[in-house]
Formats: sequence, C-alpha cells, structure tokens
Amino acid sequence: MLAREVTVDRFTVLFVDDETDFVESLIKRMERRNIKAYGVHSGEEALDLLAAAEIPVDVVVLDVRMQGMNGIETLKTLKKRHPLIEVVMLSGHANLAVAKEGMEMGAFDYLMKPVDLDELLYKLEDAFQKKTLNQARTKNP
Amino acid sequence: MKRLRQYFDKLVSRRRPLEQVDAEALRLDFRARYHAFKLLLAANNKSLEVMADIERVLEGSYPFGMTFVRACSTALSVNVFNMIKYLDQLSHGKYKDLYARFDHIQARIETGLAHRRSVSHQDLVVPFETVNKEMVDLVGNKMANLGEVKNRLGIQTPEGFIVTVAAYEAFLNANDLQTEIDTHFQAADTTGISNLYALSSDVQQLILKAEVPAALENAIRRAMASLKPKKNGRLSLALRSSALGEDAPNTSFAGQYRSILNVGADSVLEAYKEVVASKYAIQAILYRLNRGFRDEDIAMCVGCMEMVDAHAGGVMYSCNPVDQRDDAIFINAAWGLPKTVVDGSDACDLFVVSRKPLMQIRHSEISVKRRKFDCFPEEGVCRMELTGDLRKKPALTEAQAIELATIAVRIEAHYTVPQDIEWAISHDGALYILQCRPLQQLKAAASSGSIATVPEENPVLIQGQGITASPGTAFGKVFPVQKSMDILSFPEGAVLVARQALPVWASLLSRAAAVVTEAGGFAGHLANVAREFGVPAIFSVPRALDILKAGDVITVDADNVSIFKGKIDAILGKAPVRGNLMSGSPVFTTLKEISRWMIPLYLLDPNSADFQPRNCKTLHDITRFAHEKSVSEMFNFGKTHDFSERSGKQLYRHVPMQWWILNLDDGFKHAVKGKYVKLEDIASIPMLAFWKGYAAVAWEGPPPIDGKGLLSVMFGSTMNPALASGVRSRFADRNYFMISKNYCSLNSRLGYHFSTMEALVSDRVSENYVSFQFKGGAADDSRRIQRVYFIRDILFEYGFRVDVREDNLMARVEGGNAAFMTDRLKILGYLSLHTRQLDMIMANPALVRHYRSKITTDIDQVIMSDA
Repeated sequence: MLAREVTVDRFTVLFVDDETDFVESLIKRMERRNIKAYGVHSGEEALDLLAAAEIPVDVVVLDVRMQGMNGIETLKTLKKRHPLIEVVMLSGHANLAVAKEGMEMGAFDYLMKPVDLDELLYKLEDAFQKKTLNQARTKNP
Repeated sequence: MKRLRQYFDKLVSRRRPLEQVDAEALRLDFRARYHAFKLLLAANNKSLEVMADIERVLEGSYPFGMTFVRACSTALSVNVFNMIKYLDQLSHGKYKDLYARFDHIQARIETGLAHRRSVSHQDLVVPFETVNKEMVDLVGNKMANLGEVKNRLGIQTPEGFIVTVAAYEAFLNANDLQTEIDTHFQAADTTGISNLYALSSDVQQLILKAEVPAALENAIRRAMASLKPKKNGRLSLALRSSALGEDAPNTSFAGQYRSILNVGADSVLEAYKEVVASKYAIQAILYRLNRGFRDEDIAMCVGCMEMVDAHAGGVMYSCNPVDQRDDAIFINAAWGLPKTVVDGSDACDLFVVSRKPLMQIRHSEISVKRRKFDCFPEEGVCRMELTGDLRKKPALTEAQAIELATIAVRIEAHYTVPQDIEWAISHDGALYILQCRPLQQLKAAASSGSIATVPEENPVLIQGQGITASPGTAFGKVFPVQKSMDILSFPEGAVLVARQALPVWASLLSRAAAVVTEAGGFAGHLANVAREFGVPAIFSVPRALDILKAGDVITVDADNVSIFKGKIDAILGKAPVRGNLMSGSPVFTTLKEISRWMIPLYLLDPNSADFQPRNCKTLHDITRFAHEKSVSEMFNFGKTHDFSERSGKQLYRHVPMQWWILNLDDGFKHAVKGKYVKLEDIASIPMLAFWKGYAAVAWEGPPPIDGKGLLSVMFGSTMNPALASGVRSRFADRNYFMISKNYCSLNSRLGYHFSTMEALVSDRVSENYVSFQFKGGAADDSRRIQRVYFIRDILFEYGFRVDVREDNLMARVEGGNAAFMTDRLKILGYLSLHTRQLDMIMANPALVRHYRSKITTDIDQVIMSDA
C-alpha cells in the first residue's frame, strides 16, 4: 500500500443537514476514522455554533434544501463571517443553477447524494489542506 | 514546448541566492499553487470520468433516467468550474474569459434540461361529455381517445369526469412533491432491484400521505354530484390512469399504472392518490427507465367513470398483433369484469372474426374459465371461483362477438391505425368501450411454421400447447416466479416461468430471455410489454411449472410454440437482435442534445493560434485548455520567481537524450542541490514505474527502412518545419517531468513524435489514473495514422480506454490499485521507446506482425512479469 500523498492532520468537520439520521450516520462514520465531527440540523444553528467559537471547525458540509435558511443563504453568511472555513455543499437535488451559485459564492465543492464516503473524505481532506494553506498565507503574506 | 524550454534555460542561467524570508514565502506560495494544481487535476479527472459515462450511455446499451442526466451535467459543470477557478489562481487571472465561455455553455445545457411542459388549462376537472382527442394535453391519452369514441363516434362508454393535468400539477405543487420525488430518486442507489423496490415504496408513500388541495377536492365532489347513483343509491366509480405521454408511438405503457374499480364516493380522493402514486410502481419506474421516458414528462390524469358491473368483458384487437398481414379482429373474452383478461390471470376465450367478405367468426377457442372478477355490492371487486357449465360456456354469443368486431373496425377506421380496445357487457346486455389505444403490430415471424432440425439430445418439452404472446426465440435457465419477492432474485438472462401472465412480471422483461406462463392471453398487459421489449413469450401452456424445472437450460421457440431442453443453436440462429429501446426516447434525446455542449473536443492543438479561451465551444474544450495552461503555469513559477528549489534539474544519465525534472513537492527522497538529480534520488512512484518500463528492454535501433519508408520520412520532414529539429537532433530532445511522490507528468518528444503522459498513483484508488496523449510522426498521413492504430490496439489490450481523432491518440485508464497502475505506466514507458519510428514500417505487413509480436512478448514476459 502506498503512503498517502500528503499526510493530513486530523481536522474538525460540521455537518449541516435537516435529515437527522443522515447526519448521525455520517458523524459515526467520521469518528471511526478519527475525524472529529459535529452535526446541526439548520443553517441558523450552524451559524450560531460557529459564532460561539467553542468548536474550532475547519470544514462545513452543508445541505442545500433545508427548512428556514437554505444552504445557499447559509453559505453566503458563513463565508462573510468566517472566510477561512471551507464549505462543501452536499445536495440531494442536482441543479445546475444552484450548484453554480454555490461555487461562485466560494463553496469548495458541490457534491451530490448519495455520496461515497471515501470520496467525501478525500474532499474534506483537500478542503482542510486548502484552509491550512490559506491560514498560513494570511499569517505570512 | 518552446516556452517550457526557454523557461528551463532561464532557470539554469539566472540563479541568485534568496533571503531566508523570501524563500519561506516562496515555498508557501509554491505549496499553495501546487495544491491548486492538484485540485485542478482532480477536477479534470472527474470531468473526464463523467464525460466517459455520458459517452457510454449514449451508445444506447444501458437504460438511464433524467436523474442520471441531471447528476452528470451538474457534476461536470461543477468540476469544469473548479478547473477554471484553480487556473485563475495559478495564472493570476490571465484566463478570465473562460468564465464567460463557461456561462455561455452552461446556459445552453440548462435550456436543454428545462422541463418543457406548460399547463395552459386551469380546469381541474372536466366532464367526459366535453372531451375529444384534441384535449390530450389536458386529460391524457387514454381519456382523450375514449372521449373521442364517445363524443365523435357516438359509441357507448360509461359517464364520468376526468381529473386533469392541471389538477395533477396543483396536487404536486401544493405539497412540493416533485422536488421531494427528485430528491428520493437522486439519493437512491438504483443499481439493484431491491433498492428500486425501496425507492418505489418510499415515493408512493410520499404521494399517499400528501394532502389533496381543497380546490381540487371541491371540484371532484361537484363533479361526482352530477353523476347518477346506482340502484342502491350509492355512487360507484372506476378510476383509471390516463397519463400524459402514454401511448406515444411504439410504446405501450401497458398496465404500468393502476386502475381502481368499484370505488365509493367517500373513497374517491384516496383512490385518486393511489392512481397517481402508481406512476412510481416498480414496473412503471423500470419501464420508463428502460424506454427512456422523463419522469417529469409523465403527468397523471385520472378518469373517474361510472362502474360497469360487467356480465362479461375483455380486450379486442382490430388486427392480429403478431402478423401485420392478418386483418381479422381478435377478441379475448372472460366472464365478469375484463380484469381477468387484462391481468392475464386466467384462461380466456378467443374469437377471431374475419372482416371479408362478410363479418363472421373465422375461429374460436373456448377455454375452461376457472374464475371471474365481480363487483362487491358496496366497494371493491372480488374473485369468484366458477363452477358448473359456466366454466366451459363461451363468454360471448356469436352476435355479441360480431357486434364487438364491428365496433373495433369503426374505431380503427376513425383512427386509421389498428386498435387495442377494452370492453364490457353489462348484465342488461349493454356494450361499453372502456378504453382504446393504438395497437402495436409486429411482422409475422419469417420462420413461423418451420421448425429447425433439433438434435436428439434436446428433447421436446412442450409443443403446440399454448399461444404465441410475443414472437421470437431465446434460451436461458428456467426461473419460476410465484410471488412478487421472486423479482428480487430473478437472474439476468433467465426464462421467466409463471402461473399467470400478471402485469407485475413486466418489471422483469428487461432481464428475462423469454416468458412462459400457464394462463393469460396475447391481449394482456404482459404480452403487450413482451412484444414491445422483443422478449419471446408463450402463454397458456398447461402445466408449464411442472414440466419446466428450475435451473434447467431450455430453448424457447415462440414462433412455433415449442420448448426444448438445452440450447439449440439451429433455432436460436434466427433470433432477431433486440432493438435499442433508449435511442430516440425523450431522455436519450435530452442527453444527446446537451452533450453537444459537453463532449466534443475542438481544441486539439495547444500550439495553434486558435488555442484560446474564446474558442472553447464545449466543457471538454475548457478542460483541455485549463489542463494545458495549468501545466505551463506550474513551470512558469520558477521563471517568475527565480527560485532554485522549485527549478528543473537534469537527470544525471549517460545518454544523449535530456530528461529534466521539476519537483512539485515530495518527488525527491531528500533535498537535492545543484543542477543534476540522480535516479536513486527520485521518490515519484509513477515516474519510477514509467522509467522501469522505459529501461527494461534495450532498443534495437531504428527498424529496417525500405526506400519508400525513408522517402516518406524525408518528405514529411521537408513539408513540416516542426519536425525539422527532430531530424537534426533526434536524440538530443529534452523531455520534461513534473513530479511529486504520487504524481508525474511528462512532456516529451521521443523520436519524431510529441507525447504527454500524466499519472496519479496513490492509496486513493478511486482517484488514480494514467493518461497518455500522442500526436504526429514523420511518415505520410497514412503511415502515421497506421502507427496510431497500431499503438491503440496494444493499449486497448492492456485495459486502456483509447480514442483516436485524426493522428491524435488519447488513452486513459483509471481507478486501479497501485500495482495495476504502475504496470500500465511501465507499458507506456516501454512503448515510448519501442514504437519510435515504427511509422516507417507500417506499409510492410510482415514487419508490422513481427513488431506486434515482439512488443506483446516483451510486455508479457519482461514488463508485466517482474512484479
């Protein structure tokens, strides 16, 4: 077996999805891989949790269709308040226009359900690496 | 290439020491760029995978739905957008025009995907007496046809009303159902039939739990109030599906949706939802998938008609469905409701009525009818066992058969095409038409009546007992199906053997080789779908389940109503190839249309002046452009920043050919100072694999050139200035590697041709790939192209997907584990050395055979065996 190209430090991910079971199952699967994972069920909850700054979140996985604030609205506010946090959109509804809107607002990527766990994990690692590099460059411009 | 070389030259000549702080900032900058480059490569990889998926399904062999089309187009767009974004970052905004090109292309894709149905009518419910065939967009095909029969031909049908397409849209919109349904489809794993079952059940539950909007409920109640109650004072209705998009040319949709019989006034709203939900019955989902219908194009209208409590009923065809030359009217009849005939659940009578010179019964077969369906006094229908003489008595009198045939001919004359008509006769003798639709007629089997010589070891199991429900021949293992759960375990290519020809078995027809049933006529739904799918079927075979043993291989000759043990090639030889059911379908057409903006590659030559963002016509062009420029931008880093750590180093090797290496990240085992790097310092797994293949077998030198070959080379060099340098210094060309531990790209000019190889080999198996592009040669076009095909065939043999356009060869393999991928790289390394100048021998078949054999032997015995 080859070594991973870049060894990624473990990171913290926040899942935002109104499907409670889905979030719980993802958290469990992440924890099995030694990744700290948290879940909330609305955009509002996600923004509150990030504002409280009690958990150092690196990457947010954001559903698109949710009650209350939808994924795009949440993304907009989130990127404004926390530009260094990377956001991976995870949608149950393939929609070209919404995907483009999300990407233009600074989402790291836009994946569709059902997502392969390895694919999601690679994406989260890549997003975390990007965040780490951006952080370093912010400190050392 | 020229620019790359200039860059390397500058790197070598203009080095100066950097301040420590500068160096740290540059290291960080380079890491960020390399990360962006890797993400761009991953997006490129994903884009190419999606494009390959689209091309594969457009070959027409696989069924796919709009969920697939939408998911592919979204994934492709997202990844292409990412490539533009990362190139933007690498190039500091040099190619911003790409965003405009992307928007332009995406707008066209979105137009192609747009759901085109617009509901212009507002009526939620329309009375049946106002309906005709022009109203198909409001009431669906089935009810429009029936309204035409009633109101324009004056033929008796039950009274009633239709819940329209506007009502369907209102029902969906009030509950945001379409989005919910789409979400369920996208999230479902539709690869296995058990997953489809779960999906079907979930979506139907969504619909059944949804509220009927008040306006629609009121409209339905008002319409019911205008109908006559039965003698017992209660209203009794039959609710029949009438989907928009049903009965399109060459499609049957036979029996895919529910009809609910004998429904009381209090249950109408629930029954309405059940009929709407039946759009997502497993057989309906599979039918749409296999025939390429867009889910959103099928709107469910529902006909609510007074229930005919039938004394006898059935289905008639105005012509022979399996022989276009036969214009006799074929009537299937059973006691009670026509459901027995439609469901294929019991044997039924057959009356064949000829039209000329006088309408008369040409032939009749009276079956033993064991059961019938009747209406319960309150609601619903029940199955009754028949006893006594009634079982053997004809369900129609001769006069009734002639009367029915006369009506069939009238309807056919009106529509000008043969018709499939459901009918019922009430207890007081009144004849009603319940539905009609175009009949799909097949040509008679050419071999009908002639049985091939059958070897002795293949005994006849069944002969002459039963009817041809769908013509053709096939073989497979017997798989009896008795309960709906058997659908889950039905194997691909088996022969479906069942007691009854039930519509639910239609969901297996895309997997079944043939169908044999003990009961059912050729007018049932299953027979219709079998004919449509080209699946041979024999129905009404007595004791089929006893005679045909599970797991036995049998040959079914439906043309001659015969079944044999084993596989008989003499019979199967005449089997027609099943047609491509997807081609021309709405889903196929949608994907074909939007793929024009995705798949074709117009930007072939990066050295051309036309290689510009403004000339990107497709998403593929954008990926090609972004990939090419990203490689240049990575090389340009050193040029811009004069940073020796990230400069090219020459591979220390005693050969005239120059190999230059740029370490992107962790491609060296340790820090390497100076201008040179040794092979033992290299840590790049893909580069080392390529090199192993390159160095494995010594090159014998140029092939023996005949006079014609040499002239051709000289002519090519004279006419093509780009090749002139190759002639002068064919071993002094520089080859450029960019490497990290798991990544490697190589731009090279080996011998006369220019090639690009790129590979990622890591433990992210799903992201692994090896790609190889190669162009040109010094021989004339024909030899050059022959060499391209020569290499194509070799690569194909070792698992590459290869595409040849003009003299460009593009090969790719992906998703293999490290051992598999490094073997492919070794093959490419070997071929890069050993196919040089082979274009010169392409006119000599003996030499071509010699080199092909030598290459295969070398690869199998040296390259692949060292693992």
